[in-house]
Amino acid sequence: MTPGPGGDAGIALPVWHHRHLLDVDRLTWPEIETLMDVASRFEAATADPGRKLDVLRGVNVTILFYEASTRTRVSFEIAAKKLGADVVSVTAAGSSVTKGESLIDTVRTLEATGTRILVMRHATSGAPYLVPAIFGGNVINGGDGWHAHPTQALVDLYTLRQALPRPKGSKNSWSLRGRKVAIVGDLLHSRVARSNLWTLTAAGADVWVCAPGPLLRGFEVWAAAGAGGRRFTATTDVDAALRDADVVMTLRIQKERMAAGLLPSLGEYAARFGITRERLRGASPQVLVMHPGPMNEGVEIAPDVADGPGSLITTQVRNGVAIRMAVLAMLHSAGPGPMSAARAPGSAAGGDPA
Amino acid sequence: MKLDLDLSRVWLVDPERGREGPGEVVVRGGVLRSVRSLRGDEATGIDDRGVVVAPAFVDLHTHFREPGNNAAETIGSGMRAAAHGGFGTVCLMPNTQPALQSAAAVRDVAWRAAEAVRSGPADIGAIELRTWGAVTVDRAGDQLAPMGELADAGVAGFSEDGAPIHSAVILRSALAYAGMLGLPIVDHPEDDSLTEGAEASEGLIATVLGLKGWPVAAEAAAVGRDIAILEDVVRDVPGARLHLTHLSTAAALDLVRSAKARGLPLTCDVTPHHLALSDEWLAGSRRWAWEAVDGDGRRRDPWADSALVAEPYDTATKVNPPLRSPEDAAACRAALRDGTADAVATDHAPHAEVDKAVEFGLAPNGISGIETALGVLLAAVEAGELSLGRAIEALTAGPRRVLGGASRPRSFVEAEPANLVVFDRSRSWTVSRDALRSRGKNSPLLGRTLAGEVLLTVHGGLVVHRSEDIGPS
Repeated sequence: MTPGPGGDAGIALPVWHHRHLLDVDRLTWPEIETLMDVASRFEAATADPGRKLDVLRGVNVTILFYEASTRTRVSFEIAAKKLGADVVSVTAAGSSVTKGESLIDTVRTLEATGTRILVMRHATSGAPYLVPAIFGGNVINGGDGWHAHPTQALVDLYTLRQALPRPKGSKNSWSLRGRKVAIVGDLLHSRVARSNLWTLTAAGADVWVCAPGPLLRGFEVWAAAGAGGRRFTATTDVDAALRDADVVMTLRIQKERMAAGLLPSLGEYAARFGITRERLRGASPQVLVMHPGPMNEGVEIAPDVADGPGSLITTQVRNGVAIRMAVLAMLHSAGPGPMSAARAPGSAAGGDPA
Repeated sequence: MKLDLDLSRVWLVDPERGREGPGEVVVRGGVLRSVRSLRGDEATGIDDRGVVVAPAFVDLHTHFREPGNNAAETIGSGMRAAAHGGFGTVCLMPNTQPALQSAAAVRDVAWRAAEAVRSGPADIGAIELRTWGAVTVDRAGDQLAPMGELADAGVAGFSEDGAPIHSAVILRSALAYAGMLGLPIVDHPEDDSLTEGAEASEGLIATVLGLKGWPVAAEAAAVGRDIAILEDVVRDVPGARLHLTHLSTAAALDLVRSAKARGLPLTCDVTPHHLALSDEWLAGSRRWAWEAVDGDGRRRDPWADSALVAEPYDTATKVNPPLRSPEDAAACRAALRDGTADAVATDHAPHAEVDKAVEFGLAPNGISGIETALGVLLAAVEAGELSLGRAIEALTAGPRRVLGGASRPRSFVEAEPANLVVFDRSRSWTVSRDALRSRGKNSPLLGRTLAGEVLLTVHGGLVVHRSEDIGPS
């Protein structure tokens, strides 16, 4: 299907083919740029508080969250409302999920009651990949297990594009070439880091990931193998990761990691890996600091760093709305799929060009 | 049902006598009238790429789910599936509900099988069902099941499959007790303190997909323990025997190789999926494991190769042990070639579609594989990874040796009831929900075309499977 009408405010949407956003791994660099361009136009068009567009007027958006979330859920809701959509939020505790209804049955029910765009958060990696085969609308992954958080990765990249504009007079289009980005924290359990690996390497950044050994398992082989030729560096040496870094992304350390025998204590983590001013002395003097939230201040990040001059943490939250508007609008413009049901789940071989 | 067959100008594979080549098989009234090799002019134009006749296959590791989960498989549907795969004998794992842990349960399986055959087509006979008895009561791991009673009822040996034998104390006792009875213990080697919640073999694919890693060490650690205990027990109980099932890693197979070199009474099997598929399939690859490595045998990058052609997280690829790296799959094939692995066993693990149509991490483990085993092995043969003779041996004489004992139905013995499979390497079939006789449609090979359609499976002189393509004989 060709591009939908741009709605008002002179926003004509570029051509877009992906019906779903399950991860960023299948987006080309031009597609990523397109999403950021559209986000920036939406941001400008809705700069006035209360301003709403017509792009998704009459479209039912359901936000189906099987896991607690504040910022992702809220920013999807606001983004959908700013585009004029009708929004319903479903959390696992308040639905038939607690009665043991399967994900597939839940999605079929939502489709039957008019859902056209489904935003899904799930504790199990890969859960949203079940949906395209049985759902005629558009699916957006709002975070699945340890696997992916595509809109967060796009938010982070969009935030970096604003914070690190290309030099004046440069003929090249924007990228992160020549920039070092260090991701420090609980890599093993981080969907944010996994999605960011795709977008940051696509942007040309020199990406380093750093964690204590037990929380880095698997990333060493990934770094050595690359994936689609996208290479990065994995290390347990936090000073090496931070050395001359232009950007430091910190990841949340959860208390459950101690119980699972992965770490001795939060205190020991903070002492050896916490991002403090002192530790940042080895980084670029203008180093930017990011965190996808929620933060444990004093553990993975010191409060004065989180609130410090290079911190982009609040900007990340604010940019969440614009990027999610862009994703909602673009997927909708790609149109619906065939009405569900005929294809049985698990028959995905060769499947949908998600 | 009196079967008459004239199989002339076929490729005969008879591993028990080490014979392979052009041949002729004649069956009259279900009894093998004659079998002979063809030489000279008679053999001209016959090669191993057409119709092959071999002993009916033997599967050491099969789940038919009845009683307890008839939606996944019944003894009747399982028997049809096995025969469709070319199997004349299968050995059922005891992890039914209730577990197979009494003489009555052994007789119940035979009764259900007879019922299934009675209610089926009049001209289709029964395959042979053997059973593994539970090692412990209710498979709870605490107290030995009545192993003597089970032995008297005819079990092939004992296993806790579905789970490992957790306690080293139980394993010691079970090996000694079963050794006294002249039967093997079959262990599913898994240190499950390392695999709690695990979803995919630890490494590149699991990391990229965000799936909890299932370490290679979970298998190797258990195999190491098992071998140490066997070595200890066998000093006092010379009859003790241990069989390790569905080995999936180079590390575990190396341990078995060296233990066998020391002369321990140890055998093992590998599955078709662990030798031919790899963890890439979880990411959406559908290429064979031998296509997933470079010239040095190292994993290629499926993202760079555009090998990811299907959606990721297909629950049909979720199995215990998990699909491993292409390097581990290569080690499974090497173990089969050098005899470290005695047999190919299918670990046929059917599941109802409703149980597999869930999130990857919530899906039960298992591949419905008894009907695709031959086709998968033939793909390996086609690729030069395995000889045809060794592939057939691993489905016939290999598992028979593991079973041991005198009860074996013999193949290709004149004046005895015929036990054989006829398949055509030049005919292929497409794996589909309809084509699979099993109730378990949980095959990652759905949609794939496999060579070697089984035309006829014969057990005990009776047809147990006949391809629709050849019609009634």
